[in-house]
Amino acid sequence: MPFDLVTVTVPATANHLAVLRTAVGGFAARDQFTLDQVDDLRMAVEEAAVQLLRHSRGDRISMDVETTDNGVEVRLTGNVADDDSVIDESSFSWTILRALADAIRIESNQGETVIVLSKNRLVLDDEATGELP
Amino acid sequence: MINEDRRAHTKQLFLRLRDTGDPHVRDELAQLHLPLVEYLAKRFKDRGEPLDDLIQVGSVGLLKAIDRFDLDREVEFSTYATPTIVGELKRYFRDKGWAIRVPRRLQELSLRLNKLVAQLTQDLGRAPTVPELAKAAGVSEDEVLEALESGQAYSTTSLDAPSGDDEDAPMRGDRIGEEDLRLDNLEYFASLAPLIEQLPERERTILYLRFFKGMTQSKIADHIGISQMHVSRLLTRILEFLREGMEGSADF
Repeated sequence: MPFDLVTVTVPATANHLAVLRTAVGGFAARDQFTLDQVDDLRMAVEEAAVQLLRHSRGDRISMDVETTDNGVEVRLTGNVADDDSVIDESSFSWTILRALADAIRIESNQGETVIVLSKNRLVLDDEATGELP
Repeated sequence: MINEDRRAHTKQLFLRLRDTGDPHVRDELAQLHLPLVEYLAKRFKDRGEPLDDLIQVGSVGLLKAIDRFDLDREVEFSTYATPTIVGELKRYFRDKGWAIRVPRRLQELSLRLNKLVAQLTQDLGRAPTVPELAKAAGVSEDEVLEALESGQAYSTTSLDAPSGDDEDAPMRGDRIGEEDLRLDNLEYFASLAPLIEQLPERERTILYLRFFKGMTQSKIADHIGISQMHVSRLLTRILEFLREGMEGSADF
């Protein structure tokens, strides 16, 4: 499995969130994710980006999408005033993200806030029985 | 009610809303101006979206207008509300990329893929991947991706038009059981409740099954008898609707 990394940076405006959504969808679709999961990722990225945007005081939001051993990891980075408040764990948003991603955490990195989402690939039956001798 | 009366009544209600903040007064104001929303929504009805949906979108605009209206401004409420409602409707179309014209070739592929997804989901017991779909359809992965993207941008009514007249019929009761009535979890988010109430029952059920029961889109599709792509589109739309309605609220 090749390890791939895609990085997209967009202006921190609502109009550009669709670019992130489309990019992550394109990435996951090429990486053995099922359509359900591709949609989950698209929705999760949009939700996380909306929250980042709401608290943003910077002029851009960047997204790194990377393949991992068992799936994909998405890191959404923005400059916000207070990283504790980006997504409250009692919010509806958090509930949505928890349902869409397999793991979610919020990190701080050199004054920027990073929302990290991971999604695991399904182990596909037909591959498990598959091609290896 | 003749116009003169309606204006006087509106003013009275706004005075009461300002003094008491009573949500019932807000509802009454919304009810009183629903004909305005309907009138404006009809202007957009030729663009391939069900009128009911447009009225729902317009109603969000109406509520925003009610919340922002300032009595001290010397302007009629209907004059003030019209651009807000129209703005909401325009935004709805713009966000969907409705202006995009999808080539016939992609429309047809999208339609074919929709059927293949259902079939493969049945065969595999899970949703297919893009490579699997491409193989089954005999086209490249890029073409599949392109068609799926266009399916997202395109009107739900053209590709997902109901084959019969069951689009708005009640869901198959025997498959739903009790769970759609148990929305306690959703109501925990108090400020969301009024918005969720505005959703059609089917959309409320989808919201609940996906986010609180952790059911996959394919399972939900099977459960309520529509396609996975349709579930996907509805979910996207539901979230957009809730987000816009909750703009600025700490609960979302």
